[in-house]
Amino acid sequence: MIRRCFQVAARLGHHRGLLEAPRILPRLNPASAFGSSTDSMFSRFLPEKTDLKDYALPNASWCSDMLSLYQEFLEKTKSSGWIKLPSFKSNRDHIQGLKLPSGLAVSSDKGDCRIFTRCIQVEGQGFEYVIFFQPSQKKSVCLFQPGPYLEGPPGFAHGGSLAAMMDETFSKTAFLAGEGLFTLSLNIRFKNLIPVGSLVVMDVEVDKIEDQKLYMSCIAHSRDQQTVYAKSSGVFLQLQLEEESPQ
Amino acid sequence: MLRSCAARLRTLGVVCRPPVGRRLPGSEPRPELRSFSSEEVILKDCSVPNPSWNKDLRLLFDQFMKKCEDGSWKRLPSYKRTPTERIQDFKTRFLDPKLMKEEQMSQAQLFTRSFDDGLGFEYVMFYNDIEKRMVCLFQGGPYLEGPPGFIHGGAIATMIDATVGMCAMMAGGIVMTANLNINYKRPIPLCSVVMINSQLDKVEGRKFFVSCNVQSVDEKTLYSEATSLFIKLNPDKSLT
Repeated sequence: MIRRCFQVAARLGHHRGLLEAPRILPRLNPASAFGSSTDSMFSRFLPEKTDLKDYALPNASWCSDMLSLYQEFLEKTKSSGWIKLPSFKSNRDHIQGLKLPSGLAVSSDKGDCRIFTRCIQVEGQGFEYVIFFQPSQKKSVCLFQPGPYLEGPPGFAHGGSLAAMMDETFSKTAFLAGEGLFTLSLNIRFKNLIPVGSLVVMDVEVDKIEDQKLYMSCIAHSRDQQTVYAKSSGVFLQLQLEEESPQ
Repeated sequence: MLRSCAARLRTLGVVCRPPVGRRLPGSEPRPELRSFSSEEVILKDCSVPNPSWNKDLRLLFDQFMKKCEDGSWKRLPSYKRTPTERIQDFKTRFLDPKLMKEEQMSQAQLFTRSFDDGLGFEYVMFYNDIEKRMVCLFQGGPYLEGPPGFIHGGAIATMIDATVGMCAMMAGGIVMTANLNINYKRPIPLCSVVMINSQLDKVEGRKFFVSCNVQSVDEKTLYSEATSLFIKLNPDKSLT
């Protein structure tokens, strides 16, 4: 049943007439995407106390641009409602006590799993990044510094690494702005190469939420805004996570 | 502009390797190849079965190797890093010499080969020159996770970019990604094997249009579809 459900959901973009969807999809009350459900999602996503290591914190590999911009946003978390998102080694750590809707959840017997953007844990070699989120404006900013293990053209970041960072920023934004769970589409226009070790600032906005889909756009640029690296748009599917059944 | 350019360079470096002893014009004499272990790692062809390859991947690999027997298909080798002379060649032709950063080179690795066996991207590509098709057999490991139990959308995007990029490069030489447009139909389970089937659709001057689909081994499940645009680099114009 869920497989058909997912197929229907995935086709929503193409066959708007197929609005049997609301009947088949797990209960999704648009009102619940805001208000108290958001609060509980935030509190699960941003645990006050945890032993988990937060990788979205400065380390010795961060360039000076990244450090200073990080400080600027840290100030905004105190004054204007921005939130610094923690970043754990696995997405499972971000949704403790919750799981994918039944039918989609697979047995997690894969041993040591890592979220792709934390796949390389040697400081400075892979993805160095931190995401700040503004809930009322539904905006995010990601500070991203690609390391030498992300290379594509000699001396520059692999296009796939930027695509991955965009998908990941869209993913966390969609999750917190409206229970977005799966990427439906990603459209990236590449403009300029990103030198390995330099700072990329990614501005992400939720443009609209409609038909159980979140539409977002992103501009990746240099700190001084003089160079645009890429522009993209992403669409995510809204799906509610379920409580994990007590074992 | 961009991407798995180095991967393509690497492959080209092997497919069109000059005979032993002959140097590319303008390059330094090649140092004698000594058997430092790091040198062996760099020169190791990663697109061959290793213990982490599951049954599906091995089966598909054998099927495609059979197709290579009559010469219509070719397996592309794949390395962790670009040989030094190829890096210099790329930088000399396309980059502003003032911006060349020497110290980064020693640490750099091709992104899709930056993992130990089985943990990240396990893949091999096969090319059919007559049909202009590039097929990538891909097994995504546990370090590529997105939603629990599934591959990260960005990891899928990376492999799609690598595959369509290689397809464009076979036709156009050194190219960079301009556009990448991916529709995700179904999530791909972690550690499963998929086939990325790409096709050169059209060439317009320096523009190369490539499309692809991502399917299960039995071709019954369509996971994603993508279209892309690559631009052939103009050697008279610097990229930086």
